[in-house]
Amino acid sequence: MKILVCVKQVPESDIIIQINEKGTWIQADSFNEFKMNRLDEFAVEEAMRLKESFDDVSVDILSVGPERSADVIKRAIGMGADNGIHLKTDIDAYLVPSWVAARIAEYAANRSYDLIFTGAMSEDHMNGQVGPMIAAHVNLPCATGVILQQLSFDNKTLYVEREIEGGGRDTLELKIPAVVTIQSGPNTPRYPSLSNLLRASKQELEIIDAGSFNRTHTGEKIYRLTYPMKSRAGEILTGSPQDKAKKLLKILRQKAFID
Amino acid sequence: MEQTIIVIAEHFEGQIKQVTYELIACAAKLQRFKTLAIRVMVLGDDVAKLAREIAQISGHDTLAIQVPSLHYYNGETYSDVLAHLLTEYKAAYICAAHTSQGLDFAPALAVALDADCITGVEDVVEKDGNICVARPLYGGKILAHHRTGAKTSILTIQPGVFKPLESGYHAPGAVEIKSIIYESRRSVSLGLKQAAADTSGIAEAKVIVAAGRGIGEAENLGIIEQLAQLFPRSAVAGSRIVCDMGWLEYKCQVGVTGATVTPELYIACGISGAVQHVSGMRSSGFIVAINTDPAAAIFQVSDICVVEDLKTFIPIFIEMYAKFKNNNQSEFKRP
Repeated sequence: MKILVCVKQVPESDIIIQINEKGTWIQADSFNEFKMNRLDEFAVEEAMRLKESFDDVSVDILSVGPERSADVIKRAIGMGADNGIHLKTDIDAYLVPSWVAARIAEYAANRSYDLIFTGAMSEDHMNGQVGPMIAAHVNLPCATGVILQQLSFDNKTLYVEREIEGGGRDTLELKIPAVVTIQSGPNTPRYPSLSNLLRASKQELEIIDAGSFNRTHTGEKIYRLTYPMKSRAGEILTGSPQDKAKKLLKILRQKAFID
Repeated sequence: MEQTIIVIAEHFEGQIKQVTYELIACAAKLQRFKTLAIRVMVLGDDVAKLAREIAQISGHDTLAIQVPSLHYYNGETYSDVLAHLLTEYKAAYICAAHTSQGLDFAPALAVALDADCITGVEDVVEKDGNICVARPLYGGKILAHHRTGAKTSILTIQPGVFKPLESGYHAPGAVEIKSIIYESRRSVSLGLKQAAADTSGIAEAKVIVAAGRGIGEAENLGIIEQLAQLFPRSAVAGSRIVCDMGWLEYKCQVGVTGATVTPELYIACGISGAVQHVSGMRSSGFIVAINTDPAAAIFQVSDICVVEDLKTFIPIFIEMYAKFKNNNQSEFKRP
């Protein structure tokens, strides 16, 4: 059985993000530290669990992005995956999900994967489109936001539970090959092991030129970035922590939340 | 045929979901920038009644698409049936809900129709003569205005952002019923497995103290509980990650996949303010946020912003309150 897991490198979340002067994208030096998208870690972990439960499972990791994206591919190999594929882009910019999905679908089309996993959404651009778009391109069934899956390899079916609003679960059975986007919660992603990280550092990734995004993309694009408007007063308390605590207490007392 | 905005209604267990009327409100805002007719579509095995209800309330023409196999939501059926039908309509925009359903079928439909797909839309605006849709990036720290390039744009609209229009007098829209036989070949929907967790505990609280990733470790829940204890009729809640980590039970989760709460006071401790969480608490009466990151998105929806580490700040606050109470009482006792 062959599994493809698509992972994305995203900036660390606890950073201050500055918009560039023209207001067209993020200031280049905003991002210094990167990590694997959290939901993609769950997707890698799901693949690793299938590898441990069934014989003869190989797990390929794929990422679309600039040079630095190789780090998350190596991390996933460190978690135990077999091979890494880097669809390298020539620019470090916002990549429209339909473009990313089309590139991945081109790669996956004739490689007979039984399962393709992605995280349900990336933390940075929050589109949630790549997984279901890959499925549409390669004509496979797809379930999104999956928190539980059970593979019946003999019947060639995958039972999945999708999380829906309010905490309920929508259940369905997919014929494999299939595409599944993973929500957080089904497992605890493992840390890379030292031996696997050593292997990852020596292993060559398959590097493929993803083509020029700027030249080929004609559809939707980001026009302007702004900082969101505050929807409330947003009074920022100032002073020492003690001053702030005093002010907060005064406000909560005035509003009669506390006596 | 005149260009249209197609609204895909969402329904659950025989009821139209509120978000359907929010989608219509979004479509009405798009009409301000471009002359387009609104047409609503509702899919299911028994939706004629729902279509009449939508046409009555909204005044827009509504198409009931009756698919006998569609007893439960099925993404494959939605995208295939809609792709087939929508080639007949010149849809400039297709509005679906940014929910577990809309986000499931919209991307595949976009591929089938060669349309743009923009998800998590919070507003539509005109910028320099272009129609743009606004959506959050980076957990809500940035708002991006996207311009569309295709003939058709599929938008998934964040629930709770557009206000449904006042339903003054208008003639009901026309209802058309279309029956389509379709069997999904590669996926079978088996229905709803479990009801949502019982979130009545936090839904009924007057004051909610909520913990996010910023609490760092489970042991720090203690100070969240201590803070909650200062308030009458209070409860402790958490963001998704705190529940995923097993630090709090899922019945304590606030957000899209948890409870939607409207307490009089909501204190968000170490919560970044991702839209999935905010949509479950933004209607709270008064919101206080404590976070070390001054750029955290939670501060945009807060009345009071405290840029501090909750692990040090909350104990200071509790101590100050205790001191204040003592002083007050001793003053009271003084002859």
